[in-house]
Amino acid sequence: MSKLTTIEKAVSQYVQDGMSISLSGIGGREPMAVVYEIIRRKKRDLTLITDSKMDSACMLIGAGCLKKMETAYCWISSLGGAVNYRRAVEKGIPAPLEVEEYSNYGASLRFLAGAMDVPFLPTRSMLGSDFLQYNPRLRQMQDPYQGEPLVLVPAACPDVAFIHVQQADRQGNCKILGATVNDMNMARAAKKVIVTCEELVDTVEIRKTPNMTAIPYYCVDAVVHVPYCSHPFFVAEYYWCDMPFRREFMKRNDSQEHFEEWLKEWVYDVPDFDAYLDKVGRDRLEKLAEMELDNVNMAGREC
Amino acid sequence: MFAEQYSPQEMMAAVCAMEIHNDDVAFVGIGIPMMAGLIAAKTHAPNATLVYEAGGVGAKSRRLPLTISDNPTTENAIFATEMWRIFSDTQAGFIDKGIIGGAQVDRYGNINTNVILGNGTYDRPKVRLPGTGGANDIASSCGETIIMMKLVKGKFVNKVDFISAPGHLHGYDSRQKAGLKGGGPSKMVTDKGIFLFDPESKEMYLSAVFPGEDPLEIKTYFEWDLKIADHLECLEPPTQEVIDIIHYYDQDGMILGGKKTMDTEFEAYYQKMKANYTAIELNL
Repeated sequence: MSKLTTIEKAVSQYVQDGMSISLSGIGGREPMAVVYEIIRRKKRDLTLITDSKMDSACMLIGAGCLKKMETAYCWISSLGGAVNYRRAVEKGIPAPLEVEEYSNYGASLRFLAGAMDVPFLPTRSMLGSDFLQYNPRLRQMQDPYQGEPLVLVPAACPDVAFIHVQQADRQGNCKILGATVNDMNMARAAKKVIVTCEELVDTVEIRKTPNMTAIPYYCVDAVVHVPYCSHPFFVAEYYWCDMPFRREFMKRNDSQEHFEEWLKEWVYDVPDFDAYLDKVGRDRLEKLAEMELDNVNMAGREC
Repeated sequence: MFAEQYSPQEMMAAVCAMEIHNDDVAFVGIGIPMMAGLIAAKTHAPNATLVYEAGGVGAKSRRLPLTISDNPTTENAIFATEMWRIFSDTQAGFIDKGIIGGAQVDRYGNINTNVILGNGTYDRPKVRLPGTGGANDIASSCGETIIMMKLVKGKFVNKVDFISAPGHLHGYDSRQKAGLKGGGPSKMVTDKGIFLFDPESKEMYLSAVFPGEDPLEIKTYFEWDLKIADHLECLEPPTQEVIDIIHYYDQDGMILGGKKTMDTEFEAYYQKMKANYTAIELNL
């Protein structure tokens, strides 16, 4: 059964105001096309449950879509501060943002617990540091077997997860290349899962290398074919980062007013993601793909 | 051959690279630590295994990774996996060391990357920082932690506003008592000198200075009365080979301050990236 749909339909059908959402990747494979659509549809009061995020989280915050973020890290790495995150938390602009903090391992174990359908998991991370003081959902306990201290993290089960992958078939069997971050567990923990893919493949391709299937179809509710979905970010073996685009965004994001001008130009006034890609420029996208393909999998190949 | 011209950040990256040994399995975080990892891999430690938080292990990259899940973090890697797996391997003791940085550090090497409170509160702080990412996990469980921070006034404080990544907590055996299994900070590399930790009290002290640096000037960056080693070492400048490697990888000046570019012209970027990776020999 084909689960193919469009970004517009997936976002309008599955994302309601007040829900909790999760997004795949960190930088690489962040589903920017989905983020732009959530912003375009002016979704409000969402909770972003995440590990570490970059431009995707910053844009959702700056556009006023989030009321809360359960997170380990949020920044525009290698370019500077997460201006939108800072404005929201320090000044309540454009809206106050509640923050619930974990470490990356803590955040990862939350998705694993969700995927296992157990209420929590223990770790030795965050012992002795200040997370327990500020996050009431973290607990410390003595290991009942050996008496050593442990920190418990609560399971994360987002209402909807958007996961961008390199290849998927029409049923939602997914292949992820490169780092898989927490996306396999996120897909199992979330109540609804929408997969976006660079390439739509036949199921027979999936069957050739079944150990490469990161997410099986039974976790997936909808599939959307979206080439360049992570632009301006990377996707391993597909394209490289459009750093000048991100720099331009950073340059123009020196105030909320200027950020909203950027949003108007790149999101509100652009009807859909195809139009966005046209605006970026097809030649430019091809060059980003070339910059990636020049480098991937050189091991054992003639070069 | 020693380099004649280099920036303090380049010196810092070069010194940090020396901390990664040929048989190490080492975490490298965003920014200068990633550069240090690449320098080590291209010079004295070709067999070192670099580990990235999002799931890349043992990559051989021709491009500089900019974040923990960039394409180069799994390029020609031996292993591409999940974040929870990487940190489970860390908690289980497989990772020898990690290099991390921060916005504030205290005498015991406790690091803050969450909030600068100022006159505010946690919910409405003076400065909202990114959060710990995986630095807490690295500092909790790696065999040892190396701290890398530029000397900037106001960052070396008596008490950090938030312990994001645990150092030696309150000194002596307090870290062990808290239940942490990793060894904690063994060294701090800055842009003016190297600091070690007293084996008993676990308080940091200045152990070596970079060429031309004055220990008394270095002291002024610290809120507390910084201790200085009886026999202060003076380090040699980086080699020209190391500086060349830095320039090959970072043609666009994305990592090392001073020449950080905000150039938004695409064609120039495309040409620079090409020049960057075609200059890097891939030793597989």
